[in-house]
Amino acid sequence: MPQVKIIAKNFMDMVASLPAMKLDKLYDNAFICEAILRSLPPLAKKYVLQMLYIDEPVLATSIHEWVLADGESKHTVAIDRLVQLRVFIETVDSGVLPREPMPSTITVRLPSLEDLEAYAAEQWECFLLHLISSGQAERTTNFSSSMMKIFQRGLLSQRDKEAPKLTESGFQFLLMDTNAQLWYIIREYITNSEERGVDTADLISFLLELSFHVTGEAYNMNTLTDIQRNVIKDLADLGLVKLQQGRKESWFIPTKLATNLSISLSDLSSRKQIITFLQQNAHPRVAERIPSVPENVTDQIRLWESDMNRVEMTPASLFDEFPSRDVFEAACDFAREYGGVLWEDSKKMRLVVKAEILGQIREFLRRAKYMVTIFLLLLVETALISDIILNSDWEKDLPEDPTGRFDDFEDFVESNFDTCKWIGLLIVLAQGCSILLATVLKTLEKDTGKHYDSDDDYAAHRLPFVNNSVHPLPYAVADFPLPSKSETWMIRKDSQ
Amino acid sequence: MTPVQPKLSTDDVSLLMVLIDTNPFFWSAANTTSLSFSKFLSHVVAFLNSVLLLNQLNQVVVIATGINTCDYVYDSAAAGALPNQRAESLLQKLVEFVVKDEQLGKEDSVDGIGSSLLSGSLSMALCYIQRVFRSGPHHPQPRVSVNGYMHSWTSFPFHRYVAIMNAIFSAQRSMVPIDSCLLGAQHSAFLQQASYITGGVYLKPQQLDGLFQYLSTVFASDLYSRNFLQLPKPVGVDFRASCFCHKNTIDMGYICSVCLSIFCKHHKNCSTCGSVFGQAQTNAPSTSNQKRKTPET
Repeated sequence: MPQVKIIAKNFMDMVASLPAMKLDKLYDNAFICEAILRSLPPLAKKYVLQMLYIDEPVLATSIHEWVLADGESKHTVAIDRLVQLRVFIETVDSGVLPREPMPSTITVRLPSLEDLEAYAAEQWECFLLHLISSGQAERTTNFSSSMMKIFQRGLLSQRDKEAPKLTESGFQFLLMDTNAQLWYIIREYITNSEERGVDTADLISFLLELSFHVTGEAYNMNTLTDIQRNVIKDLADLGLVKLQQGRKESWFIPTKLATNLSISLSDLSSRKQIITFLQQNAHPRVAERIPSVPENVTDQIRLWESDMNRVEMTPASLFDEFPSRDVFEAACDFAREYGGVLWEDSKKMRLVVKAEILGQIREFLRRAKYMVTIFLLLLVETALISDIILNSDWEKDLPEDPTGRFDDFEDFVESNFDTCKWIGLLIVLAQGCSILLATVLKTLEKDTGKHYDSDDDYAAHRLPFVNNSVHPLPYAVADFPLPSKSETWMIRKDSQ
Repeated sequence: MTPVQPKLSTDDVSLLMVLIDTNPFFWSAANTTSLSFSKFLSHVVAFLNSVLLLNQLNQVVVIATGINTCDYVYDSAAAGALPNQRAESLLQKLVEFVVKDEQLGKEDSVDGIGSSLLSGSLSMALCYIQRVFRSGPHHPQPRVSVNGYMHSWTSFPFHRYVAIMNAIFSAQRSMVPIDSCLLGAQHSAFLQQASYITGGVYLKPQQLDGLFQYLSTVFASDLYSRNFLQLPKPVGVDFRASCFCHKNTIDMGYICSVCLSIFCKHHKNCSTCGSVFGQAQTNAPSTSNQKRKTPET
């Protein structure tokens, strides 16, 4: 009977782990509904019954008021279970916007959409100018210089005392579409929000909320929290919102930049970036032509890009001077099994593998070497034993002992023959056990090599139990620790 | 078998005795208000179904309380398992019961306005529970739910009062909570006390249309869950008793030491049990506020 209980529990866990679609489909069946209801914790059953005829979402806080302080943990368990089984579905109140729109009674001249767009573009240009060359901007922004530094990081490189220079990624940044640029800046802004004492989740939700406001409508600032007020000042500098001061209250007007925040860009290849940039920033007279960017220019850029893509860079390691052909072939097979062979030369016994399987192949080679030694030792031992067994007068092969100590030892062994026999057996047994143990450990160890890609995070915890340290092998002469990216080995191959 | 049984007793398995009032005088009066008897029944049937749905070991017994008699109308342990059959068998039995109740009323001379035989149905419920208690060491947690009562204090004959109070105290002794859901216009001090003494819930719903919601929210909670739930608390329980002679609610009075009947004035003998009282002791003026009565025989 207790086992049945366990199975039932597992069954419910299984149901709970089903994807949402399947789970919802299961609930079409009345029997399943009943079974699931009965499997719930008592408190959860109670909640289900209670909410049976309630069509509207119930606030989590009001559900929480149903329980006494004692039942806190049980309440959590019940609610978790219900959410897990999709009996309860969490919703976020998505009704009206919490921001108070400007009442129509107030007649304040709102900027037209064109004005707003021009304002946003101007603010953004100003910010970009400030970002690239802090000295040139005529207006100062609300952003502190440290914040500016954070934005500039990665985009500009500054050697001491020299004027900051645009890095490659900085150049790409300038080529990007305004929305993409905005995303980059906002991302930096979000990642550094913690340092400024703003909760990241709050900031993101506020930004996303902002993107659902109506462009050109004024919203009252009084509903904002203090933190959000600070954020909105920063956003005004970026051109996301326009601040407007009324007689008593102040308002903010989201611009197109803010409402476009949730648009993400898909194709960010450099060719498209450049062409789009050229199209967007063409001289008005050029822009009238169709196509605005001449075809030969776009073709040239396309050619240039495909030429860049022709060569694929792969970090690699070269293995050389294998001790024997067997070891070389075993290594090749092993690398092939992992799909890491880039190039091999069986005549000169050279092998180039991908850098990512370097560790595994090293491990494999060391193991192979170790196995050879063991095998040799065993072979010698077997030869000796067979000699003793087959050759009846093997004692004559031993050299003459002038001291007579050997005879004494022989006498001693003969007088205590039983004990010596046991000692000998014990030694053989111990040896057998060691080999067995070693084999077992090896097989256990093998699994650590074949973990999934997603296990990379845990790889450090899975070091083999034995042979933990990695020693360089004598015959891996070209073992590249890849000091920097620029010095990686290039393997040329035709991609087309 | 043994390892399972303790599990059952700690779980949320419950035995629910539902006492419903079929007093025609009350329901005909209530017809003018929001809830008719048929609507009331549909709420109750849904409630019974949901209780049975919560746990397959849950048991529900319905006792109808009439003016002249009371009877079991439904027992989930005996009836069919399908929900349709449940409702059908319950309604059929209920119709039979009402007819029987009416016939009995014709035979007997009705003493004034009929009041529901709550004492009878309570006693029946407690008997049933006792039988379950004695059936074995492991049994569901029983509770009594008194539903749909509207009784006015004044309409109670004295002998019923005693029987009801006895039933309540025996429920308290056997740790059976009595929940009461009162549908009448006024609060019932009497059911308030019953629920308070036995640790049950007393509720007088404000919105009768949503009766099922009240029933499922409050009365469907098993005893195990009640430890963690925020349930209606007794506010302002009227602990005062009413005297048997003039039905006045009194703070202080005379009590028969044999049958515990309460009187507002001094009587020669007890109207309930017939015991003869002695003279009130007048020689102790300092203790005159705690009036003691001693029967002579």
